[in-house]
Formats: sequence, structure tokens, C-alpha cells
Amino acid sequence: MLFNSFHFLFFFILVTTLYFILPYKIRWLLLLLASCYFYMAFVPIYILILGFTIVVDYFAGILIEQSLLKRRRLLLIISLVANIGILCIFKYYNFINDNFSFLLTGFGLSNPIPYLNILLPIGLSFHTFQAMSYTIEVYRGNQKAERHFGIYALYVMFYPQLVAGPIERPQNLLHQFREKHRFDSDRVFEGLKIMIWGLFKKLVVADRLGIYVNGAYNNIEHQDGMTLLLATIFFSFQIYCDFSGYSDIAIGTARVMGFDLMTNFKRPILAKSTGGFWKRWHISLSTWFKDYLYFPMGGSKVSVPRWYFNLMVVFLISGLWHGSNWTYIVWGGINGFYLVFAIITKKYREKFNAFIRIDRSPRLFLFTQILTTFLLITFSRIFFRARTMEEAFAVIKKIATFKGSIFNDGVAIIIYSFLAISFLMIVELKKEYYTGSFTLSNNKNFWIRNGYYASLIFLIVLLGVFDGGQFIYFQF
Amino acid sequence: MLAFFAVIFLMDRAAGSLLKHFYYKQDSGFDHSSTYAMDKTTADILVLGSSRAVNIFDTKLFSDKFNGSCYNAGRYGEPIFYHYAILKSALKRYKPKMIILSFDAGSFSKSAESYDRLSVLLPYYKNHPEIRPIVTLKGPYEKLKMLSSTYPYNSLLLPIITGNTTFNKAKYANENGFIPIERNFAGSLQTFDYTKELKLDTNKINTYKMLIEDCLAYQIPLYITCPPYMINAIGIDSSISKAIKIAAEKKVHFFDYSRDSFFTTKPALFADYRHLNKEGVLLFCNKIIKRIEDTK
Repeated sequence: MLFNSFHFLFFFILVTTLYFILPYKIRWLLLLLASCYFYMAFVPIYILILGFTIVVDYFAGILIEQSLLKRRRLLLIISLVANIGILCIFKYYNFINDNFSFLLTGFGLSNPIPYLNILLPIGLSFHTFQAMSYTIEVYRGNQKAERHFGIYALYVMFYPQLVAGPIERPQNLLHQFREKHRFDSDRVFEGLKIMIWGLFKKLVVADRLGIYVNGAYNNIEHQDGMTLLLATIFFSFQIYCDFSGYSDIAIGTARVMGFDLMTNFKRPILAKSTGGFWKRWHISLSTWFKDYLYFPMGGSKVSVPRWYFNLMVVFLISGLWHGSNWTYIVWGGINGFYLVFAIITKKYREKFNAFIRIDRSPRLFLFTQILTTFLLITFSRIFFRARTMEEAFAVIKKIATFKGSIFNDGVAIIIYSFLAISFLMIVELKKEYYTGSFTLSNNKNFWIRNGYYASLIFLIVLLGVFDGGQFIYFQF
Repeated sequence: MLAFFAVIFLMDRAAGSLLKHFYYKQDSGFDHSSTYAMDKTTADILVLGSSRAVNIFDTKLFSDKFNGSCYNAGRYGEPIFYHYAILKSALKRYKPKMIILSFDAGSFSKSAESYDRLSVLLPYYKNHPEIRPIVTLKGPYEKLKMLSSTYPYNSLLLPIITGNTTFNKAKYANENGFIPIERNFAGSLQTFDYTKELKLDTNKINTYKMLIEDCLAYQIPLYITCPPYMINAIGIDSSISKAIKIAAEKKVHFFDYSRDSFFTTKPALFADYRHLNKEGVLLFCNKIIKRIEDTK
């Protein structure tokens, strides 16, 4: 079930209404059943996979809490192996097998291991990571094991964030299922507004840009460099609005019912450095890797070469998390390299900036930082968007020639795209730099505030793309 | 909350009325052509099809030869659903003397885009009950969405603006819906492998059958043609072979030029691999006219 569908609208209205009508004690059951229905709307049979990890982690949590030392560690490892094992079978099996075949071919041998003809369960990486964070936190003693099976299942399956995050932590979410959420019209309205903004980003910006991006990237051999450059820039905005739009709808949906999910995006388009970018982009995943991989490896409190190694490992694994394709691994590698390079060159860059007296033009400096970060991130996304490494290199080669005209399948698409990006940027800049000044979204005047959101809904109906399909991050 | 929804309702009604007014006021562009085909044309010969119909069927040649008016009601990128909607709305008003349907390779293949393309019919949904069953193929919630006055004009703001200016007139030479292409084929020959079995869309096949049956019921001579492609084809397109088979069952003429060597050996007759240029159009239309005459 897609957030941008009427199916979801009816589902949301029904579930929310029932949530506030039903007694507190059985609300968890309603949410669990609703979440099962939500998930089964995609591929029903895959609920069994989710069920398996829930059962394993539920008992693992209790047993870890009751155990000491080695046994405790062993139980954690069993739980992690079960979770990662499922991820490997469904997400990485064919990829590993494919690369194994490639290796064997080099020795003139054929691969006897068969390929699996299976679909990737939707949102597998998201709920697997959320489940893993539970057992790790119980192991670390930061979270008590959940005894109520239904509530634990709901922690993994809570429908607003089940298929594309935010990847929650048990400390933040589990206790909320036991809280008594009264109907609060202000809170409901606040949630609805977050949902409207998310829908706007998805339907008006992301899916509109997607028309041009898909047109260019699905026919790379027929496109000129200028077209691919524009498509790549558009893709940067598209993926941001697609994914942050999803997160907004998820956060808004939960807030309507009284739940607080973690912030997943903080205007990453305005990041001043690649390091800063990762503190603003997909925060729930970045912090997951930081807490459960980067810090346990020693983080930055190790020798310098080891620090660089840690950063590269985190980003390469982050790339692999996104998809079983070398393009994602390279994408992760490039972003890891950016961070290492930024650390190595920090002194020299500071000296250079002092030499050219950049401090005399702080606005220009800020603009340069934001633009450079945006371009670096956008470049890496060529690998994220391309289907193969060959395609990615073809795009880079064509862009480097900087030749040709811009593909124009109807001027309206390009005009709409630029209008959508402009509107987005105005809102983002306003939120980032002009928080204290005049505001439409939080204006004290009832008519201005609600007129703004009514206008957003109207713009969605007028300019939204209603046939855009699913969210990009669903595939992960 | 009520005030909020009242504001949305009023905005929707006001904008919807304004958009409707300017949508029907357009005097050029594709939407104008659709409106003309749906509401106004009384042409003796009606041409239906996608861009290949628009760029290939020269209305003047048909008018001159058959001593009657001809309107090319084709529209870029549109599938069989659109052609049938045009026919249904035309039949509600009058009975054409001849229908020519331009058929394309892959016309029956499954594609979500074909259903998305039905959005061009949304502005006509309220005034044309005969096309509603076709429009609702777009999705189960279309009836609900049509409660909005703005939704039928979704994404049409810029086309409406250009349709009310001289922009389109300057861009396209439009002769009763026919838009000739002057340029010459400049690409390399592409290979299309039709040997892979593609899933066919039963909705599209049924719509094609209904289009034929309606013409037969109204006793309107129907000629289905597939203009040539400048490609290296391996195998036979399953949509074309299915369409030929159905046409034969219904005893309707189907002129298949998709792989006619007279054309496929002459790149100079093409603008691109799908469309003939002006020179190719002349030769092709004359061949079709001759074939139609031979059937009489």
C-alpha cells in the first residue's frame, strides 16, 4: 500500500478513527492488525519472513536479558546471524552468486550454484535494522526486553515506518505503545500538516522530476551530456523529496495517533560539507551505523589510518545496505572517500581560505560550500541511479563532454520541474536561515496558516503527478 | 477543521471553473485537437491513432481522393483506449463515412503508461458519459477523484496557457489534425527482437474488438493500417499479428505495411524509425488510398 494512494487514505482514516474509539488496552492489537494488512498489501506471503525475525528477536531479547557474559553474547550473535542471514538470502544471494560466477569464469569454470528466483521483500533492510537495534540495545543493557509479544511485534511492524523508516530505536518507540494517547485536535492537525508537506514533496516535486530523470536514465545511449547533467541534478532533488516526503508522511501519520518518530532529514540540500550532509540525510540510518558499527570499531578514537579505514568500511556497508549492486558499493565508497579526503585536506583548505580572505564574503563562502557539497553528493548519485557500472561510466563520460542539447519531451515538464525545485528551495531556505521572520506555515493568523496548507493541497491536485508510482526507497 | 476544508472546496471550485473556461477556449495544441475531435468534427473520414496517425495520414490527400472532409483525430502517445473514446463521442453526434485506424507495434502490450495516458480524457469525463467506462480503466478511484473540479485539469496549467496563445500555432503546421515532419532519418538502424513472448493486455484487445464492432454496428467502413517502421525486425510483433487475426475474424481490412520492403529499404522516406517524413507520407497515403479504392 502506497502512502500516495487512495487505498492508504481510506486505510489511514479508518485505522485512526478506530484507534481513538477503541479502549487503550486493545489499541496495540488494532495497530498490529493494521500493520499486517498494510504489509500484506504488497506481497502477502512475505509476512512470514517478518514473523520469523520477530519470533527470533523476541525470544532472543528475553534470553539475552536473563543470561550472563558468554551466553549473552552467543544469543546476540544468533539473533544477528538470523537477521543478517535473511537479509543475505533475499537481498544478496543472487548478487554474491553472480560475482562468484564471474570469478569462476576467470578460471574457465562454470558455477553449479543455482540462482534464486525471488522478489525482495519490501522494506526488508529497514525492519531488519530496526529489529537488530532492539537486540543490541537489550544486550547493552539500555533497553529492557519486551515481554509482551504483540507490542514487540508492533515495534518491528508499526505501519507508518515499516517499509521505509525512520529506523527507530526501542528506547524511543517501544514505550510509546503503552502510553495513553488521547485525541488532541492540535496534534492531529500538526500531523496532518506534516503529511501534506510530505505529499507535496512526493507528488509535486519528486514524481514530476522523476518523469525527466527516468526519460533520460532509461535511454542513456540516446541522450546527450547536457540532458544527463540536468537529469542527474534533478535526480538529486527527486530522491531527496521522494524519501524525505515518505518520512514526513510516516512521521505525520504517527503523530496524528500520538506517536513521535525520530527526525530523518534536516534540509540536507543546504549542508555545508559532505560530513554535515550525513548529519542531515537519512539520520535514522546514519546514527544506526554510527552507534552499531562505527563506534564499536573504534570510531575516530583510534590511529589515523584506522580511522580512515573505519569510515570507509561504514560507507561501503552503507552502500551495500542500499542494494545488491556494485553501483551502490561504489556510491558508498565515493562518499566515504569524500569524508577521508575532507579530513586529510582540512588544514590546507583552511590555509587557502585564509589566504584568499574568504571571511570577507561570508555569504559567498556559504554559497560556495553548499554548492560544492551539493555537486559532490550529486556526482556520487550517478552511481546510485544508474542500473549498472557501465551505465554510470557512460553517464559520466557523456556529462564530461558537456555537449549536445537538452532533451525536451514537452517544455512543460522542464518548466514544472524548475518551478517545483524553486518552491522547495524557498521553503528550505526559509526554514534554515529565516526562522524568526514572517511565516506562512506557523502564522498566528488562522486564515493565513490554514490558507497556506489549503494552497498546498490545491497545488497537489493541480500539479501533482498521480501516476508516479512507488517510493524509491521501498526497494531497499 | 470545517473552515479548512471549506477553503479547499472553494479554491477547488474556483480554480476548476477557471481552468475549464480556458481549457475549452484553446484554439491550438493537442488539447484543442482532442476537444475538436470529441465535440465538433463532422468529418466524413476520421483518422484515429497515435503520433504515427498524426504525422503520417495527410488529410488533404484523403479529402481530395474521396471527395469528402477528413479529420486526423490522432494524438501523440495515445493508446487504443483514447482512439475508442474519440470514436464513441463522434458516434454520439454523427456517423462518419469512413474510419481509418492507424495501428502500432506493441499496441496490445501491457504498460502502466497506457493507463496513465487516459488522463487526457479527464476534462471530458463530466460532459461525455459515453467515455466514462474507458476513463475509469485508469484506476478504481477515478470516480472519486472526479469530485474535484481541479483534478481533470491536473498538470494542464502550462498547456492551457500555451493553447491560449500563438505558441502552438507557430510550432506546428496543423492541417486538420495532420502534422507533417520535414526532417530526414538520421539515426542508425535499430534492431527490435519480437521473438520474445510479451504479455498482451486483454483490456486493450477488448477495446480494439469493441472499436471494430461499433464500426460494424453503425455500418461504417473501417480500414486498419500499420504504417512502416524503419527498423531491423527479428520476428513478428505479437500485437500486430493478434490485431490482424481479429480483423480477419471480423472481416475488416487490415493493411500491414510495418515491414513493407518498399519503405524499409529507403531511409530517405523516414523522419525517424517510427514516422515517415513528408515524402514518405505522400507515397504511403497514396498506397493506402489505392488499397481502399480496390476494396470498393
